[in-house]
Amino acid sequence: MGAVSDFEDHRLRIVTAGKHEVGVLRWHDRFYAIHNRCPHQSGPVCLGIVSGRLSSQAPGSMEVDEETPVLSCPWHGWEFELERGRALWDPSYAVKMVPVRVESDRVVLEVGRTAG
Amino acid sequence: MYSGPVIDCDVHHARSTDAELIPYLSKGWRDYVTDRGPAGNVPLTVQDGFPNPHGFMRADTYPKGGGEPGSDYPTMRDQLLAASDVRRAILTFGDDSHLAGHHNPYFAAELARATNDWSVERWLSQDSRLFSSIMVGSQLPEVAADEVRRHAANPRMVQVMLVDNPFNRGFGHPIFHPIYAAAQETGRPVAIHGGAGGWANPPSTGGGSVSTYFETHVLWPQAIQTHLVSFIAHGVFEKYPRLRIVLIEGGSAWIPSLLWRFDTEYKGLRREVPWLKRLPSEYFARHVWVTTQPLEVAPKKENVVDLLRSQNLEDRLVYSSDYPHWDADEIDYLTTRLPADWHHRVFFGNACRLYGWKEEDVEETRAVAEKAR
Repeated sequence: MGAVSDFEDHRLRIVTAGKHEVGVLRWHDRFYAIHNRCPHQSGPVCLGIVSGRLSSQAPGSMEVDEETPVLSCPWHGWEFELERGRALWDPSYAVKMVPVRVESDRVVLEVGRTAG
Repeated sequence: MYSGPVIDCDVHHARSTDAELIPYLSKGWRDYVTDRGPAGNVPLTVQDGFPNPHGFMRADTYPKGGGEPGSDYPTMRDQLLAASDVRRAILTFGDDSHLAGHHNPYFAAELARATNDWSVERWLSQDSRLFSSIMVGSQLPEVAADEVRRHAANPRMVQVMLVDNPFNRGFGHPIFHPIYAAAQETGRPVAIHGGAGGWANPPSTGGGSVSTYFETHVLWPQAIQTHLVSFIAHGVFEKYPRLRIVLIEGGSAWIPSLLWRFDTEYKGLRREVPWLKRLPSEYFARHVWVTTQPLEVAPKKENVVDLLRSQNLEDRLVYSSDYPHWDADEIDYLTTRLPADWHHRVFFGNACRLYGWKEEDVEETRAVAEKAR
């Protein structure tokens, strides 16, 4: 998909891999790849916003877990954590993740396999 | 038909005159209320509301000796408690239930204290089957919390009751939380009773004020819905994880629709309320009970039953008559609208769970009451 340095941190870049569109995200030194199709209404989920997981210890508090990227679908705002692709409100509901790794400083997608 | 035990979760006991309550006010407030010369006493109840063209009471509930419906214990005993196997009845007050609609917050707090003492002395002393709500002047939430704690040692003061809304904020708003802290601490459910709109409140109808009792009565569920959504969205059940609430006289067939919508909205808007750890419907299932009256009447009764069953409400519905009000639901009538295998739960078992009673203890209470008679 290109050199690691080609990917801007915290930005999703949509690439074509085989027959599919895949969003590739660099998050610090980690990479995530997400099938660009929301399981809800088939929206282009990778056009959504990625941010650290917002959580709270008590009503009124807002905390961000910067280590856990969360993708919000632009169509209805449904949120998916990107370690496994799972919806924040139901771990059995998920976006499809694509295996991705860094080899010799290059980002490699394993198209045809499903991660997690 | 159902001939088993019954717990009635909405019975309006009332007083016929202000003179009944005035002795329970402190000396200072008594003087404030009564020292008006020929003007008569300051009214103790909120003076507002929509008139019901039939009157608010069942005509047959006026005591033969005079006075207001719900004000005479023997009449209530004969018409309600003895008419079926009522083991316990939860008293929910008459016009005094609207004291949180008073403009004067200090007067409301004093009235709450006096009203609760009146309930204990005039009613609970008469029949061990009677249990009372705790009225609070929610205009002053910290004072209201103290009032809840004042009754902590009396197991027959069984729930905190909210009706009117002094702040134009859903009841989940943090301004009300001191009351819920006290409710959880003392193990009392919070009861939210419909009917606060049209008094000295913001309108309980979302689109604006209405003009007739007909409209406001149709729309009573709106305020209950607002408070339910508010409770869950504000994370009240995260903050007070042992708190239980019971929704009184707001209907029930709308609950599935609201919860389906609520869960769907949560999936997209979780970022606004990250303190919620589960779907809204899951909070509902863990924390909320609902009274039966007024049960929605569909041309096909199974339509209502299917809706209720979709949220497992057969385990959350608690019977309420609303005696002596005009729109009361009779037990025999309800048995024709609800499946037979729900009856024991709805008329008895669910209320035991709501109030933390063992069914065998309730049996004993009845035996004592019968012996006393």
